[in-house]
Amino acid sequence: MRHLSEMELIGQVYGEADSPAAVEQHLAACGECAASFAELRRDLAGVDRVEAPARDAHYGDRVWAAIAPSLPLYAKHKRRLWSSGWAPGGWLRGLGYAAAVALLVAGAFYAGRIWEQREQKKQSPIANQQHQTQPNRQPIVVVVLDDHLDRSERFLVQLKHADVDSAQMASPLRDEARTLLAANRVCRKNLAQTDDPELATALDHLDSLLAETANEPGGLNAQAIARLQEQMNADGLLFEVRVLRSRITDRKAAGANPAKGGTI
Amino acid sequence: MDRNDHAAIQAVLAGDKEAYGALVVRHSHTLFRVAYRITGNEADAEDVVQEAFLRGYRKLEGFEARANFSTWIYRIAVHCALDKVKRRRGDETSRVGDTNDLEQDQVQVADEAAGPDRLLLSGEIGAMQLAALHSLTATERTAFVLRHMEDRTTAEIGAALGIDPNAAKQAVFRAVQKMRRRLAPLRVAT
Repeated sequence: MRHLSEMELIGQVYGEADSPAAVEQHLAACGECAASFAELRRDLAGVDRVEAPARDAHYGDRVWAAIAPSLPLYAKHKRRLWSSGWAPGGWLRGLGYAAAVALLVAGAFYAGRIWEQREQKKQSPIANQQHQTQPNRQPIVVVVLDDHLDRSERFLVQLKHADVDSAQMASPLRDEARTLLAANRVCRKNLAQTDDPELATALDHLDSLLAETANEPGGLNAQAIARLQEQMNADGLLFEVRVLRSRITDRKAAGANPAKGGTI
Repeated sequence: MDRNDHAAIQAVLAGDKEAYGALVVRHSHTLFRVAYRITGNEADAEDVVQEAFLRGYRKLEGFEARANFSTWIYRIAVHCALDKVKRRRGDETSRVGDTNDLEQDQVQVADEAAGPDRLLLSGEIGAMQLAALHSLTATERTAFVLRHMEDRTTAEIGAALGIDPNAAKQAVFRAVQKMRRRLAPLRVAT
């Protein structure tokens, strides 16, 4: 008589034997297998279930509060994916976006200068003097910078949560990095004339990370993504960008530019 | 599928991000429980829950309307927890020597004697059981937790781990074998 294998006995304990009736019949007839089965059941019954520490009733709310800021609106998200180069063939669209950003920033600076000169001519010497003590207002630049930081923040969140084992994530991340890199350099160039060290430092860090992501030799493999995540965390870049963005959003909302730096 | 879950998913896909909050609130406790059982660590389990919901949100467009959201997000959480354990073990350098191990080529981790999970079980038996659980490979441990503690079928375990049901059955089998061998001294003592 063939004895039951341990695997068959385990299947029987968990109610997943291929033919439970046949196993039961055998157990009834074979004392040796019945003893093994009883021992197995006793062993497994002795293994306690690991009880998870209790979470209070608000745990789900806290989880939601933690992740909600990282989630884009779905409809908006889809539009962004399409327009920012995530879709197949989106690299050209990305270049187009970068060029558009560059034109917009340049146009904003030019418009700002013309407007400033005209305003100075119109104003009386006293008013002109007052004007010189106030920082410049260039709301268009603020909007462009806000948008750039918004996109950068989303990119950093995606990088932070990138599945290192998923090759599908690598190509979109690289494409997005290339697009952002071009826009970031335009912003850096324009901000070089200002006096906002925090913003300049953040854009420098961002530039470094984007350049490495965009130009990683051999493509973005799991090791490279893990290293970039480490670099991002070490620089505290996501936090830095979020702080700057909230600052700029506040300025945009206030419609004023009271801080040092003039151009934002 | 739960009608509430289905309605929430439709709302999210239509642009109502807040609707996802209802899904998060509804399923967080279940995900935390399984994540904790797999990772054996409270902080890791909380990370896993957040990561699972983030991944779920990103993949929501691919979610089939006929499927069950709780099963779907549960699988994602199991996958995240498994990744977490594998990554954690990858970071650890120690290897405990069970020279008769069936899978000599698989990395094993030293007992997490100081881990918070250990403190939750009192006495020597509980400690030995946890040590035995930690001695399993990440896949075996996950398969065993799902089978023995979460009452999942091998088909469900296979789906959650992304492996063939037969491979899942083998993983449970190996886990039970190793657990019994590690816990054999208890049998003699009692």
